[in-house]
Amino acid sequence: MGQTATHIDFRANVRAVEPQMPASVQKATNRFLGTRASVVGVFGEDRWQQLRQCGHDLRRHTIAHLDHYLELLEQRVTGAGGHVHWARDGAEANSIVLEIARKQGVRNAVKVKSMATEETGLNQALIEAGIATLETDLGEFIVQLAGVAPSHIIAPAVHLTKEGIADLFRQKLGVEAPAEPVALAAIARARLRKAFLAAEMGISGANFMVAETGTLVIVSNEGNGRMCTTLPPIHVALAGIDKVLPDMESLAVVLKLLPRSATGQKMTSYVSFIRGPSKSSKEGGPHELHLILLDNGRTRVLADEISRDTLLCIRCGVCLNVCPVYNHVGGHAYGSAYSGPIGSILTPQLLGVGIAGDLPFASTLCGACAEYCPVRIPIPEILVHLRRRVVEGDRVDGPAISPVVSAAAGAGAAALGTPWLYEFGSQALKVAGTPLSKEGWMAHLPPPASRWTDVRPMPAFGAGFRDWWRNRTPQGRRLLWRRRVLAGAAAAGAFAAIAAWRLTRKSGRD
Amino acid sequence: MPVISDPARAAILSSVRSALGRGEDGSVPPVPASVRMPDRIPGTVDAEIGLLCEEIGKLGGHARRLTVADLGQVLDELICDEAIKKVTLWQTAEIKALGLAELLSERGVEIVSPYAGKGALAGCDLGVTGADMALPETGTLLLRSSAKRPRSTSLLPRVHLALVMPSAMRADLDEALAEAQDEGHFVLITGPSRTADIELTVTIGVHGPRALYVWVLER
Repeated sequence: MGQTATHIDFRANVRAVEPQMPASVQKATNRFLGTRASVVGVFGEDRWQQLRQCGHDLRRHTIAHLDHYLELLEQRVTGAGGHVHWARDGAEANSIVLEIARKQGVRNAVKVKSMATEETGLNQALIEAGIATLETDLGEFIVQLAGVAPSHIIAPAVHLTKEGIADLFRQKLGVEAPAEPVALAAIARARLRKAFLAAEMGISGANFMVAETGTLVIVSNEGNGRMCTTLPPIHVALAGIDKVLPDMESLAVVLKLLPRSATGQKMTSYVSFIRGPSKSSKEGGPHELHLILLDNGRTRVLADEISRDTLLCIRCGVCLNVCPVYNHVGGHAYGSAYSGPIGSILTPQLLGVGIAGDLPFASTLCGACAEYCPVRIPIPEILVHLRRRVVEGDRVDGPAISPVVSAAAGAGAAALGTPWLYEFGSQALKVAGTPLSKEGWMAHLPPPASRWTDVRPMPAFGAGFRDWWRNRTPQGRRLLWRRRVLAGAAAAGAFAAIAAWRLTRKSGRD
Repeated sequence: MPVISDPARAAILSSVRSALGRGEDGSVPPVPASVRMPDRIPGTVDAEIGLLCEEIGKLGGHARRLTVADLGQVLDELICDEAIKKVTLWQTAEIKALGLAELLSERGVEIVSPYAGKGALAGCDLGVTGADMALPETGTLLLRSSAKRPRSTSLLPRVHLALVMPSAMRADLDEALAEAQDEGHFVLITGPSRTADIELTVTIGVHGPRALYVWVLER
């Protein structure tokens, strides 16, 4: 999909969502949440919460010392015989890949699913340079054939039906395909196998990078991750700088969190641990390994103390699965590589609020994402913070609310929270509003309340609910009776006092 | 490419440091102790092996326990069930000691060298490897790679057979990763390859092997 330079109009995108999208998306998300629930149950709910906190703490620690871990990673990868490149933005990353390909005369490549390469639009750059690049993740292979964007981070083709996919294979692969998932997968397997064996370069992302050992970690269920990083002679990995982890112990924590959160698996079918190129031709594997570390706005995210936690993300996709908005619109509406709640906070920070300013508002702030996030990213707080940045033009200092508004809100809270003040206030408003009301409505109020009545009338203050409520029970009626007696006594006492005062004055004057 | 003169590297690291409000040096505190979870206490070896086989079974793999004496018969079943005609095997000491290549030849199966070309390996029906470690909790095998343990043997053939010794059992992932961390390449294998990308229908056997057999060789 690549970087969009045009404003992402969320509402317009939502209007363009196909009618079957919500149903197919929800089928996937419900499935993932169901399997996640059962595997978390087996793990133990308390243990899971403890693990989430571990994940949060270690990711925060990593981000807080990101420069150290990046330098350590580079040192170890280089020591193991790999080449480390740094890319400030997507264009730079793409040109590094192209340069590597050009040097080796690469004409075709196979790719493992990688969000970072979607971010940079690498596929497009490779095609333009005349390098045939095949997506090998089955869902990505399908959406690539169809020429559409993925609709879910974990299950990219979930919005397509098996009939649609069979048609697609018939059209684009020239193969007669029954509309049956097992048969369709077999067709894809045969086609992709040829590609794996012939490919000159394998391109991947990295789910994680372990700094202490210089190891790239790639998870896969289908085995394409292994194919792409084992069979071609050159392996190029592109990863965001936020993917680094301190050591293997930290990796163990996130490897326990990721598969369970994403698809409800205890472990994905394959996890590859790659430390430099292969040391012997007998072992097999690439003789050349390149790691490209991508910034592309991540250091800008890092600079904002409140939204910095966006970088904790381990790309599990569970926030998409629980988000009511995502479940209604699917991934395309978010207009960029990342969708759902993580997309709503990451994309505006990577592309700027000018382009992605709609996204922080594409949320009900229900908070489900934060409850499920395996590394406890406070997504709703970051959404609110980003909304402020959108409205105030990326300003992040100074009080968010003016002192006047704060004082008014405080006064309002006091008035509503103190029972006698509330009653007095509502009676006072009723009395004050009487001259202005007609047939139960106030059609015109003085400014600033006129801003309301210019558009519609305001109902007159009734202030009768409490008395009505009290009239319904004997105790209530007794209370009202007591109050009337007291009020009467007070009035009589006041009357008597005034009369006495007048009499004394009068007698004093005589 | 000399590291110091790379402008992108310098720019990114300096952005990171200024974003974090820090200078170039400054000691890095160790990873906080709060991220350590308590270790899993494993059961008896027998229980662990049982758990491993159970978990692998749940994933659609075929796990069983056997003794060396059973090998011939079990191989017969495998050859029949999976229509095995061509096999490639790791040439490690353990596998050689079991005489597997001979057992397979006797049964009319063609042996392909694990160092043959990709195309030849892709045409094999069965790839036989060992497994350095096994994690019963998740039904996971850890396979190191080396000249004696080529990567493709467990990847390209249609069926993967992993021979596991009871001594390979490890309590949990932390233990396994700590032990393997300095390896140049290793892979965790948990069940056969799978996908649910088409209408969420789980399909076993995509790019990796379609079937996984795990035999735990006990005395």
